[in-house]
Amino acid sequence: MSRTVRGAAATAILCLTLTACGGGSPTGAGAGAPAAPDPLDSLSTEELLEQARAEGTVSVYSFTSRIAAVEAEFERTYPGIDVVATDISSTEQIARIKAEAAAGSPGADVAYLSDAPVVLDELLDEGLLRNYVPPRVADALPAEFREPLLASRLSTKTLMFNEEAHPDGPPVQNLWELTDPEWNGRVVMVDPQIRGDYLDLMTEIVLRSEEMGAAHEALRGVPVELDEGIESAGEQWIADLYANGVVLVGDTDSVNAAVGARGQQDPPVGFTTYSDRRDNSEENRALQAATEVAPAPGIAFPAMIGLSPDAANPAAARLLVDFLMGDDSETGGTWFEPFYVPGDYPTRDDVTPPAEALPLAELGTWTIDPGASAGVRRDVADLLLTLG
Amino acid sequence: MSTTSPGLLGRTVADPVGRLGLAVSAVLAVLVVTPMVGLVASTLRPTGREAWSDVLTGRLSTSLFWEPLGNSLLVGAVTAAGSVLLGGGLAWLVVMTDAPWRKTIALLATVPFALPSFALALAWETVFRNDLVGGRAGVLADLGVAVPDWIAWGPVPVAATLIAHYFSLSFLLAAAALATVNGELMEAAEMTGATRLQVARSITLPVVTPALVSGALLAFAEGVSNFASPALLGLPVRFQTLSTRLYGAITTGQVERGYVLALLLVGVAATILFASNRIVSGRRSFATIGGKGGRRAVIRLGRSRGPLTALAFALCLSTSVLPGLILLASSFARRTNSFTGGFTTHFWVGESDPSIAQGQRGVLLDPLIIDATLTTVGLGLSVAVGATLLGTAVGYVVVRLRGLAPVTGSLTLLSYLPFLIPGIALGAAFIAQFGRPIGPVPALYGTFALLVIAGIAATLPFAAQAGRSAIGQISRDVEEAAVVAGAGLARRGGRIVLPLASRGLLAGASLVFVNIVRDLSLMVLLVTPALPLLSVLTYRYASEGFAQFANAVTVLIVLLSVGATVLARRLEGPNQPWREAAS
Repeated sequence: MSRTVRGAAATAILCLTLTACGGGSPTGAGAGAPAAPDPLDSLSTEELLEQARAEGTVSVYSFTSRIAAVEAEFERTYPGIDVVATDISSTEQIARIKAEAAAGSPGADVAYLSDAPVVLDELLDEGLLRNYVPPRVADALPAEFREPLLASRLSTKTLMFNEEAHPDGPPVQNLWELTDPEWNGRVVMVDPQIRGDYLDLMTEIVLRSEEMGAAHEALRGVPVELDEGIESAGEQWIADLYANGVVLVGDTDSVNAAVGARGQQDPPVGFTTYSDRRDNSEENRALQAATEVAPAPGIAFPAMIGLSPDAANPAAARLLVDFLMGDDSETGGTWFEPFYVPGDYPTRDDVTPPAEALPLAELGTWTIDPGASAGVRRDVADLLLTLG
Repeated sequence: MSTTSPGLLGRTVADPVGRLGLAVSAVLAVLVVTPMVGLVASTLRPTGREAWSDVLTGRLSTSLFWEPLGNSLLVGAVTAAGSVLLGGGLAWLVVMTDAPWRKTIALLATVPFALPSFALALAWETVFRNDLVGGRAGVLADLGVAVPDWIAWGPVPVAATLIAHYFSLSFLLAAAALATVNGELMEAAEMTGATRLQVARSITLPVVTPALVSGALLAFAEGVSNFASPALLGLPVRFQTLSTRLYGAITTGQVERGYVLALLLVGVAATILFASNRIVSGRRSFATIGGKGGRRAVIRLGRSRGPLTALAFALCLSTSVLPGLILLASSFARRTNSFTGGFTTHFWVGESDPSIAQGQRGVLLDPLIIDATLTTVGLGLSVAVGATLLGTAVGYVVVRLRGLAPVTGSLTLLSYLPFLIPGIALGAAFIAQFGRPIGPVPALYGTFALLVIAGIAATLPFAAQAGRSAIGQISRDVEEAAVVAGAGLARRGGRIVLPLASRGLLAGASLVFVNIVRDLSLMVLLVTPALPLLSVLTYRYASEGFAQFANAVTVLIVLLSVGATVLARRLEGPNQPWREAAS
């Protein structure tokens, strides 16, 4: 930490010069032409810090309450810059950012949220958020996590089973098995009609129809037969799953409890968050991820960070984004610590994922492409509606 | 006074009550009409127009609208009927009869409304859950009792938990109305040979009808719009209601469809409102607070005294104490919703421990909680006062301004609408409306004032219904006497109407307070870190999976709500109907 402060002191003069000639009124420039690169975008962490000190504060909307830990750590690292954090869900952030834009009222400087397809479609494309990739970490980020909007980590919705009841490994090797009578009424997930990440899971399965078709042939030896009104193998799988009495609940914790509770004779399987496994001992559960499921056990999706185009504290906002991406150590250090949990995956390729969980490649999930999802998401939602 | 002015507007302006009506309409226009217009406008853009056809006529319409509509109407109607039956019956027992421990029953009956509705759904699950969806089975299944699916899941448990929640609302309104039944009238009827049934039908019932209808309407609207119960107990068997569909549409990015569903919900409710208005306005003469005081007669229950009291206690205990205990116990449970995994006080008074809930401190040690409690109480009180004043004005105009149906009708409808606008849409509309400065009014976004204004708008249905049934019982004669004596509208309001209606209004105000204290969906968009609210903290803990913290804060909310209800009773002092009847 002191390294950063010393660095800041050393570049103070340079910063002052830059402030005077280039970054004087970034707000106006950013608001007028959202696509135009902001001079602040290319500043180093130290240069940002100098200007951020002058701003003295930064506000952030976050979809996770772990932002409280980030706030404390940030204020310890950069004394004199106050973080004002509001913890609200992605859905509510989207509604709020739109309403604030309609009112012309400045909202938070930074938005940290999931629901990527909606965010890209309704906030980024409408100019209500803008992308900023901290130069310090840009090279460590694969292109899909730099554009169109910065992603800091991946979370999952993947097939999990009860390892107490199935000590020899996952009871399912192919997603199509879930549509067999054996699993009738014994597959649990959150209703994709009320939770965006589950809709993303269904959408990805439709987008991967080719692989779904291949998996069907591998299991049954015949190609998928499409029902009337069904257009792809992915859609057919969803229709079959619903016809097979999939159990829909209201939140992930209900899935975890149904699948993971110890002492069950014949527990169901379900789609839920891999990192929830860390609560196994606390909650007396035996949740385990089903790996080697054809064609894939589920999805990984990004948590994204965007800037308000009219950020009142543009430098401090960028400094916070830089901070949220983790420090230069192998684990992202204390900056990233709240998000460094087994089963969540940092997007930076120079940060080693926590050892207690399987590497993402072994977990085998599909990583969603929010841009492609946005295009078909509504159709999938409509299909789900017809299935009830 | 109305015969000389030809036009509707002329007649309205000529009458002081009419002028009050216009003023109230103007306030409602800002609080209710503007957000509604915002909703309608967003559904008239191209994507919105598509949403209309999707919802109403497309291939999706059956599962998107018609089926959930049927389910919602069913749940709403059963909730309304059940709440009125249980709440009204209990009010009768407490106010009119010689049943023992009436005070205790009355107190217990007000608790369920103060409990969050998910607490009751959770309690139901704890007892009746079967193995349909896997996971832990409930108490009964643990004991080896096979619980049929229709008791564990679907419309029956959804309606049952909602009735358990809202009967206390009907109870409060009906008890306040019953307390005004004129004992002399009843005695007179009995002396002239009327049977008990006849007395009930021709004296008691007409008096409480407006309160019962109010209670039924509120229970219906809440039953239709409640999300927690159908999400917990209906979704696993794919029992969808309009509220789960609406919530789903908004959270999955199909905002316009959500708004269209909300508008249709408004339409359905408006239809029902008008129908019930007709029923009430068919019988106009139920003014019972006259110039002369009346001692209330006590109905002797005789042999049915014991069984009826036992029934009342069973109802109250199972809907207030039991869920309360479950909630309290689960805030001490080491494992989420498990009473077999040991107990701990960590979630209340524990110091930060990094291995539990990311180092969150026990709620009683968290300075944020104290801050949030103060803000919550302050907000609840401000909204209660504001909404009650506005609601009384609405009630006064609606009751007194006879012959101007368009004005009174629209006021009734407007004051009922906020119920049916989803909280998140209402919140967004308020940001859009008050986010920028309007004339002399500065931008209110992020201020306490905006929370109060939004709170008043959202709780207006309670306040207006309470105001209406309270004013409806004050005889016109009393005021006319004051008019003859030269008292103006303001003086009559302060000296006659408010004091006489105070019991009903206080009950209404405590409902408003309770509703604000546990509201989430509206406030979640409007709060900022500087203004933490307990309900928002609960949500924050729950969404992170810290169920025990969420439950602990919920217990705090319940204590506040119940405390407010009890305090409201105290303030009524010697006017407590049951106490008076007992002495």
